[in-house]
Amino acid sequence: MKDMYILGIESSCDETSASIVKNGTEEIATVISSQIDIHKNYGGVVPEIASRHHVKNITIVLEECLEKANMKMDDIDAIAVTYGPGLIGSLLIGLEAAKTLAFVHNKPLIPVHHIAGHIYANSLVQPLKFPLLAVVVSGGHTELVEMTDHYHFHKIGGTLDDAIGECYDKVARVIGLEYPGGPKVDKLSLEGKDTYKLPIPLQDDSYNFSFSGLKSAVINLAHNEEQRGEKIRKADLATSFQKVAVESITSKVKKAIEEKKIKNVIVAGGVAANNGLRTAMKELTEEMGVELSIPPMKYCTDNATMIAAAGFFAYQDGRVADLTLNSKSQDILK
Amino acid sequence: MKILYIDTSSSYLYSAIVEDDKLLSSIQNDYGQALSEVALPRIVEMFQKSSISPKDIDKIIVVNGPGSFTGIRIGITIAKVYAWSLNIPITTITSLEAMAISSKKETVHVPIINARRGYVYGAIYDKDYNIIFKPKHIKWEELKMELNKIDDYELISNDTFEEELNTKAYSPDFVKIISIYKDKECINPHAVNPDYLKRTEAEEKL
Repeated sequence: MKDMYILGIESSCDETSASIVKNGTEEIATVISSQIDIHKNYGGVVPEIASRHHVKNITIVLEECLEKANMKMDDIDAIAVTYGPGLIGSLLIGLEAAKTLAFVHNKPLIPVHHIAGHIYANSLVQPLKFPLLAVVVSGGHTELVEMTDHYHFHKIGGTLDDAIGECYDKVARVIGLEYPGGPKVDKLSLEGKDTYKLPIPLQDDSYNFSFSGLKSAVINLAHNEEQRGEKIRKADLATSFQKVAVESITSKVKKAIEEKKIKNVIVAGGVAANNGLRTAMKELTEEMGVELSIPPMKYCTDNATMIAAAGFFAYQDGRVADLTLNSKSQDILK
Repeated sequence: MKILYIDTSSSYLYSAIVEDDKLLSSIQNDYGQALSEVALPRIVEMFQKSSISPKDIDKIIVVNGPGSFTGIRIGITIAKVYAWSLNIPITTITSLEAMAISSKKETVHVPIINARRGYVYGAIYDKDYNIIFKPKHIKWEELKMELNKIDDYELISNDTFEEELNTKAYSPDFVKIISIYKDKECINPHAVNPDYLKRTEAEEKL
């Protein structure tokens, strides 16, 4: 089979990224322009500001990517783009860019679901083995996806309210850590002891998660301590919160491994960088004798490498879009 | 010389391909919320109808605002990516100047776009389309004070306003716009960006 070079484009939130990947497994070049320092001033991503930066950055990012790869558009076989889910105005920039490139260079356009991208970030490290369970954890997602083959997704559970990363950021705010506070909570939790009692959310028979109750419990606890004139022990609160948050994930993962006869567990998304979760997943999979794969840090946050990788397998599955492809703020992975 | 014109700064798609002051193909249609979905496919149809390929275009003229933030970005993204990747000269025009140029009346032209909450995007051009008052996000009452100084003018808009205004509807005169802009200095595609004339609400509050 002839080698296939796919140009991936990702702009679903606050990162403008382009990447070229060979045969869905080999990264040739990637460029990511992050806006994190801009949104810091607002305590979170401001959609209109994000869109404004995407449109400013898009051709610069594309040019740098091609230069880095020492390639021209003629060397590219297809364009893969994140069409959703994400911020609609942000998605639009990458999408219009991809559609335009597909038109003027007459290349196939491959629509990629953002979560499929996070899952296929793993194929840049090692081939996926089926049946597989993907644990997708990020600022916008908390999902368990079962895969029986390439590009056969079956979402078996997800969060009923907040995403885990969102919950981390809110807890960080309670503790007084600057946005994005999630990684700082993880770091702080290494210094504390599990002394605060917090409720383990949604211990039911489903594969679903709930984090809004846990978030409220932390907010109330901090508020009550303050009322009583007591100082919160920040590190202890981080440790106690992290323990419960991680346990609520691993308990459902354990259930899925048993019931779905899973061989390979992969963790994907920004929260895959969380040390507490990484350790707990490692212990769980070792104990149950299944293979675990967590992509390196650079593939955990939003990037176009994973989109180009997923694009290859989407193309093999016959998924090609015409130029009416539209962005979707929400869409089920299927 | 074949020139591609793109304006997606409202819910309308205004686009044309003009060759030596002759209109080869054009679109002028209100697509509402569907603009992002259909803008590029409709532009592609224009190419097909006039049997030309994307590489045949010698220059791109794109509207960089003011108007719908999302709308402006659609046209700008298409135009700058197109121009960058095929190395085609590109330049920008404001939506307000395109509105003024398209007017046939021999008078002062005042294109306005409803920017809500009593504000408009507006500008004032003399009968030869020279700028008298630069495009601005401005309270309608303030722009009215500017207009009090002028004897005869024509308000151009496709929007409705809180106050009932006697406006002339806008319909682009593609050939005229392009004939005025075809020799305008070109811009590096990376620097072709929207000019919103307004900061985001988050920036205003900060």
